[in-house]
Amino acid sequence: MASAAAPQGALTKKRKGRLFYFALGFDMPFFILLMLVLAVGLVSLFSASFAYAYYWNDGDSYYYIKRQLIFAAIGIVAMLLISTVDYNFLRKLKIPYIVMGISIALLILVLFLPPIKEVHRWIKIGSLRIQPSEIAKFAVVLLFSYWIAEFGNDMKTMKKGFFPFMAALGVVCLLVFREPHLSGTMLILMIGMVMMFIGGTKWYYLLGTLGLGGAAAAALIFIGGYERDRIDVWLDPFAVYTSGGAGRDSAWQTVQSLYAIGSGGLMGEGLGNSRQKHLFLPEPQNDFIFAVVCEEMGFIGAVLIIILFALLVWRGFVIGMKAPDRFGSMLAIGLTAQIGIQVLFNLAVVTNTIPNTGISLPFFSYGGSSLVMLLAQMGVVLAISRRMKDKNDS
Amino acid sequence: MSKAKNRKRADDSTAALSRAMRLRTIGFVCVAFICVVFLVTQLFRIQVLEHDEWQEKAVSQQLSDVEVPAGRGQIYDANMSVLAQTREVFTIVMDPSNIRRESTRNMIADEVSVMLEVDRQKLYEQTCDSESQYKVVKSKVDKAVCDEFVQWVDEKGLEMVFYALTDYKREYPLKNLLSCVLGFVGTDNVAREGLELKYDDVLSGVAGRMVITQNEFGDRLPTALQYEYTVEAQDGDSLVLTVDQYIQQVAEKYLQEALTEYKATNRGCAIVMDVKTGAILAMAVKGDYDPNNYLEIGDPTVAEQIAQLSGDEQAAALVKARQEQYRNKALEFYEPGSVFKTVTASIGMEEGLVKESDGFYCGGSYTIADRTMRCWVHPKGHGQQNFVQAIANSCNPAFMTLSQRIGTKLFSKYYTGFGFTQRTGVDLLGEPAVSASLYHPADKIIPVEVAASSIGQTFKVTPLQMVTALSAIANGGDLMQPYIVQKVIDSDGNTISNTEPVVRRQVISADTSARVSAMLENAVSGGAIKNAYISGYRVAGKTGTSQKTETKSEEEEDENVEIIASFGGFAPADDPRVAVLVMVDNPVTLRSGGGVAAPVARKILKDILPYLGVEPNYTEAEISSLDRSTPNVVGKSVTAAASVLKGVTLNYQVVGKGDTVVSQMPIAGATIPKNGTVWLYTDSSETKTATVPDFAGRTVAQVKQAANTAGINVLFSGISASSGTPTASRQSMVAGTKVSKGTVVTVEFTYADNIH
Repeated sequence: MASAAAPQGALTKKRKGRLFYFALGFDMPFFILLMLVLAVGLVSLFSASFAYAYYWNDGDSYYYIKRQLIFAAIGIVAMLLISTVDYNFLRKLKIPYIVMGISIALLILVLFLPPIKEVHRWIKIGSLRIQPSEIAKFAVVLLFSYWIAEFGNDMKTMKKGFFPFMAALGVVCLLVFREPHLSGTMLILMIGMVMMFIGGTKWYYLLGTLGLGGAAAAALIFIGGYERDRIDVWLDPFAVYTSGGAGRDSAWQTVQSLYAIGSGGLMGEGLGNSRQKHLFLPEPQNDFIFAVVCEEMGFIGAVLIIILFALLVWRGFVIGMKAPDRFGSMLAIGLTAQIGIQVLFNLAVVTNTIPNTGISLPFFSYGGSSLVMLLAQMGVVLAISRRMKDKNDS
Repeated sequence: MSKAKNRKRADDSTAALSRAMRLRTIGFVCVAFICVVFLVTQLFRIQVLEHDEWQEKAVSQQLSDVEVPAGRGQIYDANMSVLAQTREVFTIVMDPSNIRRESTRNMIADEVSVMLEVDRQKLYEQTCDSESQYKVVKSKVDKAVCDEFVQWVDEKGLEMVFYALTDYKREYPLKNLLSCVLGFVGTDNVAREGLELKYDDVLSGVAGRMVITQNEFGDRLPTALQYEYTVEAQDGDSLVLTVDQYIQQVAEKYLQEALTEYKATNRGCAIVMDVKTGAILAMAVKGDYDPNNYLEIGDPTVAEQIAQLSGDEQAAALVKARQEQYRNKALEFYEPGSVFKTVTASIGMEEGLVKESDGFYCGGSYTIADRTMRCWVHPKGHGQQNFVQAIANSCNPAFMTLSQRIGTKLFSKYYTGFGFTQRTGVDLLGEPAVSASLYHPADKIIPVEVAASSIGQTFKVTPLQMVTALSAIANGGDLMQPYIVQKVIDSDGNTISNTEPVVRRQVISADTSARVSAMLENAVSGGAIKNAYISGYRVAGKTGTSQKTETKSEEEEDENVEIIASFGGFAPADDPRVAVLVMVDNPVTLRSGGGVAAPVARKILKDILPYLGVEPNYTEAEISSLDRSTPNVVGKSVTAAASVLKGVTLNYQVVGKGDTVVSQMPIAGATIPKNGTVWLYTDSSETKTATVPDFAGRTVAQVKQAANTAGINVLFSGISASSGTPTASRQSMVAGTKVSKGTVVTVEFTYADNIH
C-alpha cells in the first residue's frame, strides 16, 4: 500500500538492500525472461545463420550474428532508456494520433518507393531498412490503448467502442495488405481485435466482423482463387513441390521445415548440428529459424523455448493487470499480446498448421530494425512495470 | 491505494482494468494457451511420433552415400595366365564454378585437351558452365596419365578446379580369346555376359561405403561441420579356369581358318574336353568379339554390312549383331547328324544287339513304315558290310536297321542316359533348358523316329552335350558333369574352393567303350574320315553333315538348305585323353563335315597332343613317309622357292633382304624330315649358325622342340609302330657343335623295353 502511495519512499528503501534492483527499478522477472528469450534467440540465430552466412557471404559465418548483436545492443540501450521515461507521456499531446498519422503516411509512402524483393515492405535509409508495418503495429496498440482508456464504459457502444477502431484498423490493414504483406495484415488485425475485445467492445460485434471477414476471405480464396497457391501448399506441400507448381518455392520451404523439425526428435541433433541449415532450408535465419531450433534442440528444447515465451507473455499480462491505470494496462497487454500472437503464428506456419504467410519469430529471426523496435516496445512495458501496484507480491 | 480502491468501487470504468476486462484478458490467455497446447501437440507429432519418417527423408538428401568399388577378381587360365583383370583407372572431374578468368579457361582448354586427348572445343564449353560443379572431363584414364595430370594441376594451382576419382577398368589382355565364354564387364563396371556375369558374386567382392554429409548442392560441408564414415571395400575372388590358353588359341585359330575358308554363315565352335574329368580345356566360339571393345562388331563382314545401313535400320542391326556375337555357340542347340551314330553304336554294343562282325546291307535307302530314308551315298549303296565298315562308311541304312533292334524304349533310356534330355550342369552362363520339343520324348517316340534319330536327325542337342556324351564313350562309360572353373582363389592366392570331377552316371560299360573306340579309330584311319587322321596318333571320331531342320528339304543339294558340318572324336583311341567336337554352322563353299570340321579337329589334336605330353606312335609306313629329299631352290625367287618347299611339306626360313635365293641349308638332295625347315639365304654375306643340342634321353616331342629352338632339322630313327615311349640314345653330331642353321642331325631312338 505504502509503495503505491509513496513510490519514492519505496525506492529509497530498496536502494540500501538491493542496489541492482533499484538501479533498474522495473519488473525484474519480466526483464530476466526477456533477456533469456533474447539470449536464446541470439544463440539460435547464430547457429541457424552460420552455414547460410558461410555459403553466401564468402565464408563469413558470423555475418548475421555480428549485425544482430549490434542491433540487440542498440535495442537494449533503447529499451533501458525508454523504461526510465514515464509512459503517460505517450498519451499526451495527441501523441497516439500523431504516431498513427506518421505510420499511415509511411505506409502510403512505401507503396510509392521502389520495391525490395518485389514487395513494398521496407523503407531503405542507408543500410537500414525500416518496416512501416512494424511502426503501424505499435501505432495501433498505442492508439487503441489510448481510446480504451478514454472511452471507458462507452466501449460498449458501437459508436465509440467499434467504429473508430474498425476505421483505424481498416485503413492500416488495407495499406499493409497492399504492400503486400498478408501476415503483417493478419497480425495487426488480430492485435487490434484482441485489444478491442479486452477493452470492452461487445463480443458479438467482433464475432460478426470476424464472421464477415472470414466469409469474405473464404470467398476470395475458394471462389476468386486468391492465394490459392498458398492453400495448395498448405494442404500438401509435397505434391506442390514435386509437381513444381506456382508455389514451389514456398512448398520447398515448408517441406524442408518439416524435415528439420522431424529430424530433431525428442532430444535434437545438438546445438549447431542442424543439417537442414546447410542450404536445404531457405534463409534459415529468418521466418523458419524455429525449424532449425527444433532440429538442434529437439522437442524438449522447443517446448522449453515455448514455455519461455509463454512466461514472458504471462509476465507482460501481469504487468498490464497491475498497471496503475487503464492506458498503461492496455498498452502493456497489447504490446505483450503482440509478441504472443506473433509467436503462435510463427509456430503454426513452421509446423504447416496454417498456410505459409511469412511471419518472423520475435527475438529470434534476423532483422535489425525489427529487433530494435521490439526491444523499444519492451522498454515501454518495463516503464509501465515501474508503476506496478503491489510490486512486492510478484 | 485506498484512493484507487474507492475509485474502482465508485466507477469501474476509471479503474486500471474493470472486472469484465480482467475476465476477458483471462479469456484471451485461455484461448492462447489452448493454441499453445495445440501447437505443442503438433510439434510432438512431427518431432517424436513421425520422427523416423522425417529423418529418413531428411537424411537421404543430407548424406551422400558413395560406394567405394571393390577390386574385381581376375580370371586365369589353367596355368595362371591372365584372361581378365581389373586395373585401377581414374575419372578426371572438373569444377568449372571455381574458374574465374577467361584466360584460365583458354589455358585449360589448350593444355588439358592435349594432355588427356579430349576435344578442345567440348572441353572449352565445359569450362564455361560456371553454374556446374561437376563435369567429367575424361573417364578410364590410366594411372600414369593421371599422375602426370595431377602434377600439372599442382603446378598451375588448379586444385580447386580438377580432381580425380578412382575407378576400375576391366581388361582382357588376350582380346578375343575365349570372349564368348568370359563375357565382359561394361564400362559402368556392371558384368554383362559369360563367366563375368555367372560368377559376378564371386568376382565382384563387397563394395565399401563412404558416407559424407553434404549441402543442398551435393558439395561437402565445411571441414568443421564434416561428418563421414567409411566401410572398407573387400576385393573379389579370382577364378582359375580349366581352359588352357595354348589349347584355346590352337582351337580358335583352326576354327577361324575353317570358318573363313568355307565362308560359314552362322559362326561355329570347337570344344576340347578332358574325357576323364569333364574339364573344358578349350571352348572356341568364332564370330566372336573383343571384350575390351565389346560394342564393336568382331566379324568384319558383318561390320561392313551394318556400316552400309543407316538410321534405325542400322541401329537395330547393330543391336542384333552384338547380341549374336556375345552368344556362346557351344550352348546353342544344333542337329548332331552322323556324329550321333557314335551314341547309337554304343547303345547297340552295350545291349548286345550288334557286334563288330554283324553284316548289314545298304541299297542306298531304308524304308520303315511308309517312310523311305536315303543313305548319304544315294542313289548308290554301300552294299554288304560289317558293322565296323558300316561305321566307317557312316551308312545310314545300317544304323536304321540297328535302330529297329534297339527299339523305342531302349533308345529313349539311353538318350536320357547320355544326358541329352537335361542340362549338363556346366558352370557356364546361359546353358539352355532342354525342352521336350527338341527331341522325341519316351512316351511319344515311334519306330520311324528312332530310325531318324539313330543317324542324328530330327532332334537337337548342344555341342557341349555332344562332347560330354563322346567323353563318356571314350572314358569307359562315365557321363561327367562338364566344368570350366577349376578353382576359386582369394586375392592372396589362397584356394577358396576347388572343383572335383563329378560322375553323373555310368552309361555304358568299359568294354563297350573300348570296342566302340576301336571302331571309331578305324573310321578315322581307314574310313571316310581320313581328314582327321594324324600320323603317330590314334584318333577315334565321326563326322557329321546335317541339314538344319529350319531349312530342311527333300532335295539334298538344295542350295537353300543350311547344313551343319561337324566332327566329334577323341584321342588317343587306346587311352583317350581329350574329346573334341568341332561344329561349323553352314559352311557355304564345302558342305561336308568330313571336309570342313574333321581337318579342324585334326589340326587341333596334332598341336595339342604333344603339348599334353601324349607321345606319338608312328607306324613304319608313317616313318618312311616322314623323310624326303631336299629340292634345289637356289637361284629361284623367294616366292617360287617357298611354293616349291610347301609343295613337299617343308617349312622355310628366309634370311636377308634379297629377292633371290643365293644358297640353301640343307643343300639339295639331303634327307630331311617332313615339315623340316630349309633355311634360304638371299644375301651371300650372311650365314646363321646353330649349336647342336644334347638330345640324349629326350622323348620325340622334346627332341623336336629342342631342334626347333636351335634351328636345326632332326631325322628320327629307330622308332617302330609298337606302343611305348622311345627316348634318344645317339645323335649324329656331338652336342655343342656349331653348324649352319638347317643342318640335318639324325637322332636314334630306343625303347626302354628293348634295353632290358
